[in-house]
Amino acid sequence: MDAFGMGICAAAGALAFVAGASEDIDSDIGSQSNPNSQVQLAAQVGNPHRIYNKAIAGEPPSNALWCAVACLMAYVLIEGYHMPLLFAAVAGASLAALFDGVMSISAYLGRSASQARFNQWIYLDIIRYTTPSIMAHVWITSFCITLIAIIQVYVLTPHHPFPIPVIGLIWGITVGAIGSSVGDIHYGGEREFQWRLFGQGLNTMLSGQIVRKAEAGLRNSIDNAWFCAKFGGPCTGLGFGLTVFLDNWRTTVFDPVTQATYAIAMGCFFVLAMNLYNLYMEISARKKYGPYPGYKGDIAA
Amino acid sequence: MSLVFDTNMLIYMLEIVVGGLLVSVGVHFVPVGGAPAAMAQATGIGTGTVTLAAGSGLTGLLSAGLMMSVTDNIWPILATGAVGSMIMMDATMLTGDFIYSYAVGCPYASAKVNYDPITMFPQPPYVAPGTVGQGIPTVCFVSGTIGALLGGVGGAMIYYPCLQIGGNPAQAAIFAIGIFFVQAVIPSWNIQGTIEGFHDPKFKKWPLAFKASLVAGILLAIMTVLIQPLGVA
Repeated sequence: MDAFGMGICAAAGALAFVAGASEDIDSDIGSQSNPNSQVQLAAQVGNPHRIYNKAIAGEPPSNALWCAVACLMAYVLIEGYHMPLLFAAVAGASLAALFDGVMSISAYLGRSASQARFNQWIYLDIIRYTTPSIMAHVWITSFCITLIAIIQVYVLTPHHPFPIPVIGLIWGITVGAIGSSVGDIHYGGEREFQWRLFGQGLNTMLSGQIVRKAEAGLRNSIDNAWFCAKFGGPCTGLGFGLTVFLDNWRTTVFDPVTQATYAIAMGCFFVLAMNLYNLYMEISARKKYGPYPGYKGDIAA
Repeated sequence: MSLVFDTNMLIYMLEIVVGGLLVSVGVHFVPVGGAPAAMAQATGIGTGTVTLAAGSGLTGLLSAGLMMSVTDNIWPILATGAVGSMIMMDATMLTGDFIYSYAVGCPYASAKVNYDPITMFPQPPYVAPGTVGQGIPTVCFVSGTIGALLGGVGGAMIYYPCLQIGGNPAQAAIFAIGIFFVQAVIPSWNIQGTIEGFHDPKFKKWPLAFKASLVAGILLAIMTVLIQPLGVA
């Protein structure tokens, strides 16, 4: 272990934090993932809305595409044209953002147009000012992941044997999986249904009844990003940052050639610690919130 | 590089089949709640089965790939794949629970059992009205960790022979990702959207997916050993 390796490993973790947060906010602005089922349903149950609706694909495949595109361009520029690493990453991320812009607009137009019979309009102003925000967040995500891949392949020792685009593809799938599992809950479980009683999930009877009024005026997707950037985004960043940092840290501190056992044992320790921390949170939440009032079953709380 | 069919090749095929079976069974352990869980409407992680299995298994594949670049010994490769996968899964479940606790403001509860089989905490009083549970209680968390362990070992076990046959890490990784996805999709039909883990009644259906994955694994193993050497100049 050397100080330089540790610093670079920490930088990869920090980049992963930013990538995770921006990935989640991108999916919130575009209303891309699981909670979009409610946005889709809203118009059908009589609630046309001004939320952007770009379910291009599940988050993992779409992010895998952006990150692989960014990494591929960076790889070509680095290997073929000997471009500086940072500029290559910038160029790659810009291409990924353009790809995303095209697909976002076509997804919004297609999905909204298909709901014309439910009185759902296509709002051109929404396209005009929401799409650049989505593209900007995709740029940040793919830039950070390209840099992580570059760090793993060219800087950290031992160098990773996979080429940059394959690493970008894998981290893209992973960041999408984490964004879909973590950040979506804040958007779907809390932001979309703020008018129901606090402290519970969505009652099935309320499906499709999303909040359509904002703090001022009608709610749009930028309002959702403002809200989710406060907690859902950082939590997603934390999840992805922990994954990248802890996984790289154990092979940076312990040499995988001579100290493989320690690296594996350290990983097992992290896993055990996270299991115990979750148990602590479960006990704490049960104590603080208590059972739901009105429960009429036989089993005592 | 010409194709030589010998005992080693049979072992490689066996490893691909066994790795695929581990992935297939491992997916049943992962507590996925699908879109309803993203609205805190069902217990588990708020995303799809394949999504999560692939996210964790492929993180394990990255770790295994790094380990295999410095050693040929299969055991540390499998172990590090498992650990990488478990770290990703646990970090995801933990941060997901942050949101259930601190943003949605609900306790974690399973709707499939009356008492958590590990902690013995009663569950029904903590299930919100009109939902089928929320959050990731301890039994689901442990089940998810086991699923990630199996997925990570499976992914690494598929990657190992792919690299041995072709000798090209990039090609082997793409093959491993492809095989991994096939073996993660097959159990999804068994799961039908949501499962809470090994305590869920749906878990008992795993032999069905096991048989289907065995057939798919054999076909994939044959194709892998036939196609992989062609890509090497």
